[in-house]
Amino acid sequence: MIWAALLALLVLSLVAAYVPMGRMTTASGIIIAGVKSTLVVLLFMELASAKPLVRIAAISGLVFVIAMFALTFADVLARI
Amino acid sequence: MSDQSALLREPWLDFGRQREAGKFGIWVFLASETLFFGALMLTYTVCRIEHPEAFAAAGRETNVWYGTINTAVLLTSSLTMAIAAQASEASAQLRRLVLACLMLTAMLGLAFIVIKGFEYKEDIDKQLVPGAGFALSHPGAQLFYGFYWLVTGVHAIHLSIGIALVSRLFWVLLRRQLPAKDNPEIEVTALYWHLVDIVWIFLYPLIYLPGRAS
Repeated sequence: MIWAALLALLVLSLVAAYVPMGRMTTASGIIIAGVKSTLVVLLFMELASAKPLVRIAAISGLVFVIAMFALTFADVLARI
Repeated sequence: MSDQSALLREPWLDFGRQREAGKFGIWVFLASETLFFGALMLTYTVCRIEHPEAFAAAGRETNVWYGTINTAVLLTSSLTMAIAAQASEASAQLRRLVLACLMLTAMLGLAFIVIKGFEYKEDIDKQLVPGAGFALSHPGAQLFYGFYWLVTGVHAIHLSIGIALVSRLFWVLLRRQLPAKDNPEIEVTALYWHLVDIVWIFLYPLIYLPGRAS
């Protein structure tokens, strides 16, 4: 089931990449990648049923990546 | 219980705690991997913001079929890996299923590397290696292919390590040196394998999908 959903999302992102929607075309690919990895993390990696300590360890990487992107974008996007 | 005592390692006195610690440890490592690949993807994003047309033109030169098939291969390998991990937790009767799924996972990983090899050959033939004689005229396109070679190369190294770990597990379990039931090595290897899959899930739209609509 999860596997079928992942492959369906892969096909969806491939098709969406050929539809001219301006910035939304790029965004759709990344959003679908986010949905796919959420499925993998929660169900294949069983984070949905993991203990709080494991969840904190898992989320810490994501938190620092978001901080890194936010701080960089605060500079880069202000220069355009 | 004899199975669990065969799996117990120093410094733990209790098997349950050993499993908890192993799982926590691999997640800390995976968080550091997230930052490693996150930094590479951030570099890509900044370059793409500065050279949008060049990145669209360069993305159009990648072979979207190799990329899509390889994504499907890796997603399927994550399924077989997840089945192996859950079967090992479920019952000692499922040892054969665990072994079959580990074998399939390693084979799918190898298939990914082989397909990637064909793709690299095509890229080299099309002169898509940054440097003298590069195929595309726009300077920003070289940045895209610099990222492409670096990040797919680093991903392939990660996947090769995964294939080695899964093959070793298959061999050790096949020779009954360790029991398959509740083996924490299966769980930890599976978590690493899934992360390598997730990295590719994000690389797929960044590498293969830019510039398709225009």
